[in-house]
Amino acid sequence: MTTPMIQLSGVTKSFGSVSVIRNVDISIDDGEFAVFVGPSGCGKSTLLRMIAGLESIDGGDLVLNGQRINDVPPDQRGIAMVFQSYALYPHMTVAQNIGFSLDLKKVPKAEIAREVDRVAELLQLSDLLDRRPAELSGGQRQRVAIGRAIIKRPRVILFDEPLSNLDAALRVQMRAELQKLHQELRPTIVYVTHDQVEAMTMATRIVVLNKGQVEQWDTPIELYNHPVNTFVAGFIGSPRMNLVPGTIVADGIAQAFRADAGWTVKLAGRQLAGMVGQSVTLGIRPEDIRPVESADEADLQAIIAIVERLGAETYLNVQNGEDTLLVRAQGDLALKPGATVQLAMNHKAFHLFDQTNRIIAV
Amino acid sequence: MAGVPIRRARAYNFLAYVTLVLISIFCLLPFVWMALASLDTNAQLFLKWPDAWTFDNYIRVFATENGVRWFANSLFTVLSATILVIIISGLGGYALSRSKAWWKQPFLYAILLIRVLPSTALLVPLYKILLTFNNGIGALVRPVAGENYRTIMHVFGFIDGYLGLIVVLATGQLPLALWIMKVFFDGVPKDYEEAAILDGATLVQRIRRVLIPLALPGLAAAGLFSFMSAWGDFLLPLILLSSPELQTLPIGLFRAFLRINEIDYGLLAAIATIYLIPAVIAFSFARRFLVQTFSGGVKG
Repeated sequence: MTTPMIQLSGVTKSFGSVSVIRNVDISIDDGEFAVFVGPSGCGKSTLLRMIAGLESIDGGDLVLNGQRINDVPPDQRGIAMVFQSYALYPHMTVAQNIGFSLDLKKVPKAEIAREVDRVAELLQLSDLLDRRPAELSGGQRQRVAIGRAIIKRPRVILFDEPLSNLDAALRVQMRAELQKLHQELRPTIVYVTHDQVEAMTMATRIVVLNKGQVEQWDTPIELYNHPVNTFVAGFIGSPRMNLVPGTIVADGIAQAFRADAGWTVKLAGRQLAGMVGQSVTLGIRPEDIRPVESADEADLQAIIAIVERLGAETYLNVQNGEDTLLVRAQGDLALKPGATVQLAMNHKAFHLFDQTNRIIAV
Repeated sequence: MAGVPIRRARAYNFLAYVTLVLISIFCLLPFVWMALASLDTNAQLFLKWPDAWTFDNYIRVFATENGVRWFANSLFTVLSATILVIIISGLGGYALSRSKAWWKQPFLYAILLIRVLPSTALLVPLYKILLTFNNGIGALVRPVAGENYRTIMHVFGFIDGYLGLIVVLATGQLPLALWIMKVFFDGVPKDYEEAAILDGATLVQRIRRVLIPLALPGLAAAGLFSFMSAWGDFLLPLILLSSPELQTLPIGLFRAFLRINEIDYGLLAAIATIYLIPAVIAFSFARRFLVQTFSGGVKG
């Protein structure tokens, strides 16, 4: 096994008495596109800033490429960072912004110019080199910020919510450009976002953080298919997974799930005999529930509360007693709020979580 | 103005303009008198058209009076104080903006209080303190200076010396300048400095190549405010300076006014006009920085 590019072992950090990072263990391989994702205040930005060296590390080890760098100054870590605000120096031109780090190292002018040209060409900034940041559009500023990072040929590039200041259309475009850049240059990227769509589309590996702790880290599709707890289940995927509280009940020789709201669904092919009577949470993704014609195939019936017709698919917000379920149906369905609908569930796609919100292995 | 007939609206407008014109005339009159009187061979205390046009009053300020000296003294002390204010408020404003110390808010209001207290009320204790400093410096200088004692004390003395006036002038301007710079740096995101750290900039490089260029509009505003306000200060040079060769322009003007035999209005008007010019020039510079500074921080 090769040494990972970044390894965090038992990393902790507190601000005063508030513990913001608790015992984080992650390793990120060379050339990976790792995304830290989590709700605001989960510590993801702090963790990124600790890797950059802008925040001190209270406990644990931060190892970069086999070398412990807890106490190495930020500029000697071989790490570049793209800030949320881009932090382009307003008094410098694009070329001066990109070449600033080389200028500080007293690199000869001609070489700086050559390097700036190389980076500018890569990022399609060649025509803008004499402009000031104030004269650039949001997307162009973003590219200058990336240029300022990659000119140093860093081993690791850190991104702190870089797309959050852009409008929706530009965000989609920049997402593609970032992926292209990653494929061309193959740097190790650590990217922080609160947007799980960004995480799912770009990452080779996602680290889900909550309250300063790592909930789960894996490839995007693995997280999607096998969330280890209700937090990850609810956070990854859009629209989010339905999480229904209920109990396991005996159903002949097999078991079934009875929702607190009253409806029941069979749990076929699972060894749950020992768990009858236990409170559990059933997770089911909206796309694994579909409306059906007859009550025979249906698992439950519900009343439609909201219909969102998107053309290619239709989102239904339905209610059964106190349970609200989101259904993502294929195609355009001309359904009306208030109508009763029969719903069938994909029984193989159930996720069952125990009382501590952890997945129940089957 | 919907609902108001056009004729009525016109009448309102007319009234408004008449009022504004009257106020403008009221405000401008002293300046008009000053400009006319300074060019009049026989200026009087009332507004009148000059008997004959002349530059004689101005020439007299510089030739017979000590005008060049006064002007140079004013410019030297006020500029020095301004530079001192720019340096201290730049560093201090940055610290006050970035610090999270518990005493930050009390300190900020305390320095504003200094500004609010009338300096006249503090003159006696201030004089006493400066006198003590002056004696201290004097005791240090006297053994080494010998014959040059008076000359040296004119520069480094706290009473009847440039240094004392400069320090006190700067102190008076610092509260506002510190506030301006503190608020200005509040608007400068920390990201710029952190980006510079990651780019490998040392502390000195960060200050010189990132912070100072970013802070320039704020420093200019703070500096120009200080210059304009210190330039207009009359009481401090009056109390602190006594040697004729140290007199500043406002004191020159004051002494010319106090002469016993007669009041030479032409000469007074000429000195006053000269006294006004640097303030007007400073203000014309200040305008563009003021808008930038007070409309909120760094754009880019």
